[in-house]
Amino acid sequence: MDFAFDADQQLLQSAARGFLDERCPPAVVRALMDDARGESEALWKEMARLGWLGLALPEPEGGSGLGMVETAILLEEMGRAACPGPYLPTVLAGMALAQTGTPAQRSRWLPAIATGDARATVALLDAHLDWRPEAVETRAAPIRDGFALSGVKEFVPWGHVADFVLVPARGPDGLSVFLVEPSSPGLAITPRLGMDPGTRWARIRLAETRVPADAVLGTPGGAGDLLADLMRRGAVGAAAEMLGAARRCLDMSVEYAKIREQFGQPIGAFQAVRHKCAEMLLEVENSHAATYYAAWALDARADDQEVAASVAKAYVGDAARKVCGEAIQVHGGIGFTWEYDLHLYMKRAKALEVMYGDADYHRELIVRRVAG
Amino acid sequence: MDLNFSPGDLAFRAETRRWLEANVPRGDLETLEERRAWHRKLYDAGYLGMGWPREYGGQGASPMRQAIVADELARVNAPPPINGLGISIVGPTIIVHGTEAQKRRYLRSILTADELWCQLYSEPNAGSDLASLGTRAEDRGDHFVVNGQKIWTSGGVIADWGLLLARTDPAAPKHKGISCFLLSMRQPGVEARPLRQITGSSHFSEVFMTDARAQKSDLVGRLSQGWEIAQTTLSYERGGNSLARVTRYAAAFGQLVEAAKLLTRGGRPLLDDPLVRARIGRVYAELEVQRYAALRVLSALEQGESPGAASSITKLSYSEFEKRYHELAQEILGPWGQLTADVPHQALAIPTSSGEPGTWAHAFLWSRAGTIYAGSSEIQKNIIGERVLGLPKEPRADRARR
Repeated sequence: MDFAFDADQQLLQSAARGFLDERCPPAVVRALMDDARGESEALWKEMARLGWLGLALPEPEGGSGLGMVETAILLEEMGRAACPGPYLPTVLAGMALAQTGTPAQRSRWLPAIATGDARATVALLDAHLDWRPEAVETRAAPIRDGFALSGVKEFVPWGHVADFVLVPARGPDGLSVFLVEPSSPGLAITPRLGMDPGTRWARIRLAETRVPADAVLGTPGGAGDLLADLMRRGAVGAAAEMLGAARRCLDMSVEYAKIREQFGQPIGAFQAVRHKCAEMLLEVENSHAATYYAAWALDARADDQEVAASVAKAYVGDAARKVCGEAIQVHGGIGFTWEYDLHLYMKRAKALEVMYGDADYHRELIVRRVAG
Repeated sequence: MDLNFSPGDLAFRAETRRWLEANVPRGDLETLEERRAWHRKLYDAGYLGMGWPREYGGQGASPMRQAIVADELARVNAPPPINGLGISIVGPTIIVHGTEAQKRRYLRSILTADELWCQLYSEPNAGSDLASLGTRAEDRGDHFVVNGQKIWTSGGVIADWGLLLARTDPAAPKHKGISCFLLSMRQPGVEARPLRQITGSSHFSEVFMTDARAQKSDLVGRLSQGWEIAQTTLSYERGGNSLARVTRYAAAFGQLVEAAKLLTRGGRPLLDDPLVRARIGRVYAELEVQRYAALRVLSALEQGESPGAASSITKLSYSEFEKRYHELAQEILGPWGQLTADVPHQALAIPTSSGEPGTWAHAFLWSRAGTIYAGSSEIQKNIIGERVLGLPKEPRADRARR
């Protein structure tokens, strides 16, 4: 048994940190806040060149064939940098294609994702905001040569920049996932701006949007398992990113508590502040254990992978909220200013807290599994 | 990263499980002799003192093997070994700091539980500030004379020997004037009185020393080295058994779910109440995080890393969790959780590590101890702040004075 990262994983982590420190410092994050797309083409292409976009894709399709642990390592670093962009949704869509896509779908999209030429997202949430795959209400009506999709998808991450959207919808066969290009007729995308300027959401309205018969992923009507898997991967990916944001907030707080003086001494010498920092570290270390246990469990297809993913999302969501909030408290007034960078990480964690199922949602999943 | 147990460790676990199924006592152990016999049986089977070096009767076993045994013992709710403190703290202290004569004299009988040990550290006026302890040991040529009072001494009433911290140099700064001794509890100058806790039982005792004698040959390490020795001892106490602890929490969790299915409120099972479900989900998520963290600690130990001050994170984490766990369990169970006897369902009788009859009420009360013993949560946070995060030390009145 070894809970530590192996040599390759350590290398990946330090390379990612070095790259993001240099190419995605707070000044870049701030510059993208006012950008209509909200992300950087140059950064995306560089991430592709580093192999990040194909990290978990199969090798024949331009990927590296690595798993959720490596993906989590990158996402943690992105959370630490509050790096804006559709990395997690693109990775999820790529994983879905790799698992269930037809050869044509795979060869069309997977190499393009790996080279940074395509972005993608997964529209897991209908307008009723129920994350359960069985709750999908969007309809897929069979028509000649394909399907007409109707419904409203909400809070679709980076929907406005995606080259394709995976859309779960219910047809005569049951629940299926459709690969939909945004140029499809009857599809309308409305951006939604949340408190984190580095996270972009969209409302996607499908009004009898026509897709060809070969837009279905996998077996028609058999998408339940795929969607449950994507929810788990999304949950663990979000946990990793929240972990990175929380650790950054902790690091900044500790550094600040060492140099900020009041009453003639560094504030970190006061137990009221020091104990807060100790509690934050405890939450961060437990979050690390929860995130990487769950990532490993997904890669290893462990018996408890479902519970582990829900534990990670529920625990890390709560922990990140606490750690990022306390970081502002440790900093005092400076932490409440727009100029100081703390809010970048706090807001990133906040945006992810509600995605891929919030803590309450995942705790209910856990109870169903362990108690019935 | 690989969280699979090795085939060798899996086989060892299976073998341990088989042995326990055949040998674990069926009923409660009533007498001291029965408890000694169970300890002896565990030792003879190779399940105690496993981490001790071979030359002193151990096996030099890996942290993983030790954790597996502790975990399997917890799984069947086996009675704890009666000389647990001797095995986990006193023996390792003698092995690291003791003389050859001390090792020959004491180690074997710790392993066999022929001599039982307690730890004489805390005092009424020296709790978190242990280094301010006032028990005196005066040099009288061939022996020391000990006077003072200790408190919170687990097993003090049954112990034959105590690992004692006493002040030998009152003029020195407080951390520098303390020495460590092996003190016979079986002498006229030593009296142990049971101390009743909020649970109603007496796990601890107070120990009064009035002109008690400690032999010169029973000084551990050098004179005035006591504080340094105590630091290594305390670090044995933090960390360690975390996997077994989680297994105990998990066993109780199974009972909690059972109770939530059986018990009703307003005509429906507790488990159908969304508020109850939310609390159960919270307990289980936190319990699993404790398990993952325990595996992480174990894996670091297995790679030969010493957790050092980071073991304070483990201690803080599990003890604070245990309080939240039992608070949530009480909220879920309502008045049923407060029953101390004659519980109407088996699900309300939970296993305890102390061998006492277990109820949720007892476990709830007992959960208040963990954030106080072996360094309170406040002390752990100081350690984490200063030694893990590198935050500045606070100015202290007693540092200025000496």
